[in-house]
Amino acid sequence: MKKKISPILCGLMLAGVAAGQDFSTGKRQSVTFEPPPITAVYRGRPNTVELQFRINSGYHINSNQPKQEYLRKTELKMDPPTDIAIEKVSYPAGEDRSFPFAPEEKINVYTGDFAVNVTVRPLKTVLPAKYAVHGTLKYQACDNAACYPPKQLAVSFEVKVLKAPAPKKRNPAQSPPPHG
Amino acid sequence: MKRDPVILIVIAVVISLMLAFGIQKSRHTPVQQSGAGQLQGQAAPDFALTSIDGKTVKLSDFRGKAVLLNFWATWCEPCKIEMPWFVELQKQYGPQGLQVLGIAMDDSGVKEIGDFAKKMNVNYPIVIGKESVGDQYGGIPYLPSTFYIDRDGKVIDRIFGLVSRSEIESDIQKALASSGQVAHK
Repeated sequence: MKKKISPILCGLMLAGVAAGQDFSTGKRQSVTFEPPPITAVYRGRPNTVELQFRINSGYHINSNQPKQEYLRKTELKMDPPTDIAIEKVSYPAGEDRSFPFAPEEKINVYTGDFAVNVTVRPLKTVLPAKYAVHGTLKYQACDNAACYPPKQLAVSFEVKVLKAPAPKKRNPAQSPPPHG
Repeated sequence: MKRDPVILIVIAVVISLMLAFGIQKSRHTPVQQSGAGQLQGQAAPDFALTSIDGKTVKLSDFRGKAVLLNFWATWCEPCKIEMPWFVELQKQYGPQGLQVLGIAMDDSGVKEIGDFAKKMNVNYPIVIGKESVGDQYGGIPYLPSTFYIDRDGKVIDRIFGLVSRSEIESDIQKALASSGQVAHK
C-alpha cells in the first residue's frame, strides 16, 4: 500500500507546485478573441460579422473613444482579401469608470466581454467560396495599479460568400371577381 | 484500511496549501520580479539617454545624489497620479540631494512627451527610454516602475505599479540616508 501511495503522493504534490507556479508567472493574456463560426455573406451586399472579445477579470482597456487625449484607444484594423471590402467597423460604447489610482477621474473603458461588428461587402464579381479575413485589435490594458504597454491581438474570421438570392417576382394585382 | 482516509485528507490539505501559496504569491509578486529583484543591493546599471530638450543624460551624472528613477508613459493613467507627487518631492528633497529622473517608455514623439511633461509642470529631467535600458533593469513589464538608488549608485528598492505618496516619500528618505547599505524588506 505504501509503495502505491508514495508515487501518487509525489505526483499530486508536484501538480500542486506546478499549479502554484502557473499562477505566479503572471503571463495571463489580458484580452482574448474567440473566432466566430463561418458566416454566410452575400456578394454585392453589406453583411455584418460580430467579433467577440473577452477582457480577463482584473483588467480594463480603453474604449474606442477615450476621454483623455493621451490614452491609447482600442482599434480594430482589418486586412481583407482583395474582393472583400470592409465597409464599417462598429465599436460598443464604453463605460465611464473610476479606479483606485484616480478615484476622482472617469475613464471610458471596456471590461468583461465586448463585441466589435465588422460590415463586409464582397464584390458582385467575387467567386462564391470561403474566404479568411485577417486583422489586428490594438489595445492598451491596465489593472487597478499599473498599465501594460499597448498590444496587438491577431483577429481572423471566415466568411462563405454566396450569390445574392434573385429578387422575388411580385405577381400582378388580381382583378376583382365579376359580379353577378 | 483505517489509515487510507487519513492519507487522502493529508494529501488534499497539502495540495490546497500549495495552491493557496501559489495564488497568494502571484498577488504580491510582479512579473519578472526575479530580473529586477536581482538588482537590489547591486549597482544601478548606467545608461545614456537623450532628454526631451536634446541633451545626453547619464545616470552616472547624478552620482552622489539619491536618484528616484521612474519608468512611465503618456498612456499610463497611474503614472499621471504620481508625477505631481514627484514634482513636489523634488522641490522638497532636492536641496538634500534627491534627483528624480523620468524615463518615458513611450511610442509617442518627443514633442508629445515634452508637451505632456510641460502640462504636468515636471521639474526634473525626462529622457526618452529604450527597451534595452528597461532590460538592463530586469525588464519593465508594466508602468509605472520606480527604482530607488542611493548616493553610491546602488539600487535599494524597486516598486512596480502605483503606491501611496507616503510610501514613495519613505523610500526617498531611505535613499537619501543610505550609503552603500542594502535595504531589506
